[in-house]
Amino acid sequence: MKQFQYVITDELGLHARPAGQLVKVAAGFAGCYIKVGTEAKMVDAKRIMGVMQLGAKKGTALTITCEGADEEAAAEKLEAFLKENL
Amino acid sequence: MGLLDKLFGKKEAEEMEIGAPLEGEVVPISQVNDPTFSDEILGKGIAIRPTGNKVYAPCDGTIGMMFDTGHAVSMTSADGAEILIHVGLETVGLKGKHYTIHAANGDEVKKGQLLIEFDREAIAAEGYDTITPVVICNSADYSEVKTFTGKTVNAGEKIIALVK
Repeated sequence: MKQFQYVITDELGLHARPAGQLVKVAAGFAGCYIKVGTEAKMVDAKRIMGVMQLGAKKGTALTITCEGADEEAAAEKLEAFLKENL
Repeated sequence: MGLLDKLFGKKEAEEMEIGAPLEGEVVPISQVNDPTFSDEILGKGIAIRPTGNKVYAPCDGTIGMMFDTGHAVSMTSADGAEILIHVGLETVGLKGKHYTIHAANGDEVKKGQLLIEFDREAIAAEGYDTITPVVICNSADYSEVKTFTGKTVNAGEKIIALVK
């Protein structure tokens, strides 16, 4: 399993658009079980509703876990996405 | 098993209706000037060019995420449809200005219940497009997402039908 943390720096937080984009990136790794969330709650990174419901804002520390096929590539791509967009 | 098959068969044939959360002109999602919606990244659906200033629950269900800015709300219908209503484009940038929230996360709501009020003229005056996408985030869970566009609706009129 690959795991990493990312603290959101975008002022607007994880709103609808970035939530949708994050899910799209995660969904690109069909054989990998990916979760995103906080200490309080982890959700399936391939479901938009759950990701939006995190209500993650600027300063929120997100944990991402990738388990399964291509887990290293998935973690790498998600980390790059977060750095670029959030 | 015969009875079960019959029950499931009947259930599959049923459509789940989503009503308009606000009054206005219903247009295809492809006409939304934002690829996040027009490319269906957040799901299939429609958009409404609003003529009113109130957002109502499009069906019975539970509020999933009422953004504290009031610019968007998601809910899960009683039968599992995950619906996102996004009032205007890029309106997260208003940080709550011109929006008033009337429901909270986890609230059980009835179709037609007031969720958000917004000052449409003021939002437009600040240069924002007030077109309001209504999308089904779990579109992949349905065999068909039927849309009813090209008409002007009152709140509550059918805009989407979901086929399991």
